[in-house]
Amino acid sequence: MTNSLNDMRHAKSFIFIGSNAAEAHPISMQHILHAKEVNNAPIIVVDPRFTKLAAKATEFVRIRPGSDCAFIMGLINEIIQNGWEDKEFISTRVAGYPEMVEVASKYTPEEVENITGIPADQVRKVAKILATNRPTSLTWCMGGTQHSIGSSITRAFCILQLVLGNMGKSGGGTNIFRGHDNVQGATDMCVLADNLPGYYGLSDGAWKHWCRVWDVDYDYIASRFKEKEWMNAKGFTLARWYEGVLGEEKIEQYTPIKAMIQWGCGSNSNSQYNRVVKAYNKLDLFVIIDPFPTMAAATCTTDNVYLLPCSSQYETSGSVTSTSRQIQWRHKIVDPIGGCRDDYTIMKDLVGRLGFADEFYKNIKEVPEDITREINKGTLTIGYNGQTPERIKKHMENWHTFDIETLQAKGGPCDGEYYGMPWPCWTDTHPGTPILYDISKSVAEGGLPFRNRFGLETSYVMSGRAEGQLAAAGVCNPGSEVKGGYAEFKDVVPGTNWKTDLSQKTIKDALARGMAPFGNARARCVVWTFPDQVPIHREPLHSPRPDLIEKYPTYEDKPNHFRVFTRYKSEQNPDMVKEFPYVLTTGRMVEHMGGGAETRSNKYLSELQPEMYAEINPVLGNNLGLRDGEMMWIESPEGGKVKVKAFFTERVDDKTIFMPYHFGGTLMGESLAGNYPAGHEPYIMGDSANVCTNYGYDIITQIQATKDGLCKVSRA
Amino acid sequence: MAQRKIHSSSTIGTKTSRVTLNPKVARRSFLKLSVATAALTGAAMTTRMTAKAASPAAAKAAYPDSKMVRSICTHCAVGCGINAEVQNGVWVRQEVAQDHPVSRGGYCCKGASAIDMVTSEKRLKSPMKRVNGKWQKITWDQAMSEVSAKLTAIREKDGPDALHLNGSAKVSTEMAYLQRKFAAFWGSNNVDHQARI
Repeated sequence: MTNSLNDMRHAKSFIFIGSNAAEAHPISMQHILHAKEVNNAPIIVVDPRFTKLAAKATEFVRIRPGSDCAFIMGLINEIIQNGWEDKEFISTRVAGYPEMVEVASKYTPEEVENITGIPADQVRKVAKILATNRPTSLTWCMGGTQHSIGSSITRAFCILQLVLGNMGKSGGGTNIFRGHDNVQGATDMCVLADNLPGYYGLSDGAWKHWCRVWDVDYDYIASRFKEKEWMNAKGFTLARWYEGVLGEEKIEQYTPIKAMIQWGCGSNSNSQYNRVVKAYNKLDLFVIIDPFPTMAAATCTTDNVYLLPCSSQYETSGSVTSTSRQIQWRHKIVDPIGGCRDDYTIMKDLVGRLGFADEFYKNIKEVPEDITREINKGTLTIGYNGQTPERIKKHMENWHTFDIETLQAKGGPCDGEYYGMPWPCWTDTHPGTPILYDISKSVAEGGLPFRNRFGLETSYVMSGRAEGQLAAAGVCNPGSEVKGGYAEFKDVVPGTNWKTDLSQKTIKDALARGMAPFGNARARCVVWTFPDQVPIHREPLHSPRPDLIEKYPTYEDKPNHFRVFTRYKSEQNPDMVKEFPYVLTTGRMVEHMGGGAETRSNKYLSELQPEMYAEINPVLGNNLGLRDGEMMWIESPEGGKVKVKAFFTERVDDKTIFMPYHFGGTLMGESLAGNYPAGHEPYIMGDSANVCTNYGYDIITQIQATKDGLCKVSRA
Repeated sequence: MAQRKIHSSSTIGTKTSRVTLNPKVARRSFLKLSVATAALTGAAMTTRMTAKAASPAAAKAAYPDSKMVRSICTHCAVGCGINAEVQNGVWVRQEVAQDHPVSRGGYCCKGASAIDMVTSEKRLKSPMKRVNGKWQKITWDQAMSEVSAKLTAIREKDGPDALHLNGSAKVSTEMAYLQRKFAAFWGSNNVDHQARI
């Protein structure tokens, strides 16, 4: 989130697209509904389903799954056609604007209606609501990202907010509600196949930076890899690691994957789960570290699997980063129960037995505080350096002193600081940055310009036009020594820049001059390294609209996409819809979380929401000869099928099937209860929706496309 | 039932655990109420649930010699505050955090039932492996020694990229950092977590 949940109290309107906050983030709703009541803020909810959040909307917009980009580009076009864009903001803080306008102009309200199913008049109406109720807070979740064009969809969201001038403002912003409790922290630490902690990437410079932080020789780390080239090569992702095991797709690695450690990972969150199960059973070693046996423990039936019971997070301590970028200290409530061990103890044991403990724990004596300090030392890119363990704990002790509206402490030991020191928090006296890209206050007080990350000037292939990338003259945070745009800081300490100067002198120098270490630039509408430089609509790989495939085709196939061949064009078959006529989409329910290993083993939650089901429109159900409450089969083009209860409801239209993705313990209609360690099977079990979610991955991030696949339905 | 679970969850380092309210009644009324109010949204439902779960007297009186621990819910990224009451090393009761600046006393049903992350009888208590298709309890030492020996053998034979580590968005930031650092020291970029999907 660029802003915070509390800051949403200041919004004058909301647009939620691909988010069902009322179920997925229920406690955020108090702040949203406050703005609805007090500011009279309209709430626009864009979703294929009439969700619980939609029930709170002033305007519900039913959209065809996977067509979000067309809708947003249509809104941008309508805003510009009416002259509602924020001309001042665009001319001083935005780059690549005319190139973007050219692309958006093709998305007329009528064309948007054709692609998305949203009536043209409703497109006009929504554009007007946004134009006349600024600032708008824009929220998306997995409904926006889990598509083959997810990276274009999310960029379109950002561009809409730039066009409206809603960035860097209280009540505005792009406010992605993160899912898991610490998905922000884990992402910032880059438990990712394409990055080192702090989004440093995998270049030699990145490795050398982290080797300095770890206090080990670069050559030592390089010697741990097969060859140096593999240090710089993105690894297999969570979405497709199993292709490295199965050998059914061409992989770009010298060996198949033979061992897997799943450490706090609900296995049934993977699409095409029946193929994942095949991979589990082909592994030479499978280690599952979790407080509860995950579904993997029941689907992997070989003798190569180990279950290691780690404690829950209430039996250990450490920091967690909320969706608002706030860092909180999760204090240990009790010691690990039974024979469980906390994560740190298991890691220490493992690393010791593998023989690299001395190097690994060189700076780490006190756990977890010394780890926090090592993070503080190295994660300069996003300003994770000011949140020391002592400061985080001080905020926890004094959480009652922070103001609800501003999240700033009023008096007390944290006076003037923002709750949880949202990053960037540049020094150990910086208050944190509550709103990203806000130039109304000084950098030292939590203000921030846009980052200068992509050079000083570029010329666009699309138009041939050259443009400077720095902010316009006169546009800067108060107190800035340079009155306008400026480049990122480097060579304050010769040979380093603000990201690699471990003395942090560069950062302090920038702040002393009233400037941001990362420069003051424009936000880009054109990303020249992406296949679609400006976001455009492309039909989902498995499209229910074969008539649109020719005009909006998917990408060319991508041979080495995180080490595995990934099909786009060769997968998009206009005839698929004949056999698989309905769109399959998935989502959350309030009572459960993720793959449900934890919540389905919780007696209270299990009783509240005990049964797997699929939502189906009564018209479709009756046409198929189904009865409400009867069992039905849902089948995917990949041969996955689930047996689930039909729930007749008009929440979905008559072309769409919705399933919650929290269930497991049953595979293709067969109970696996006997495969769990006796007595440890979850209280409630059901078929996993992800057995039916289709093939399809984002062209940049490889996130799986679980929201816009196809399926067929029959009586069970 | 709840009392037994609290007992079984406190096998380490505690002599006794005591629950003053009648746990059977508390659990029944908790669940009955939750079903009756299931149509309401999470927040509204659970405020009432937690209020009615304990009898008025038990709700007010602190457990003798107990302490309150401030912590954070493990379910979603809103980051709601939790006040946990701990007696003799046992988590005996959970309170809303009225003064938390984000959650302000709110809990959804997942947050309201956070205590069962620790007390659930479904929790694994010992390392296990499959032997001839049957689960068998093993010691930590056996588990870690076999796992590390197998990992080392695979690394030597097939190379470090033969391992993939699925890390987690459910662990602390410090632990997530160690997961990424582990992959680096192991010698592979085959590491990823749920943010990808």
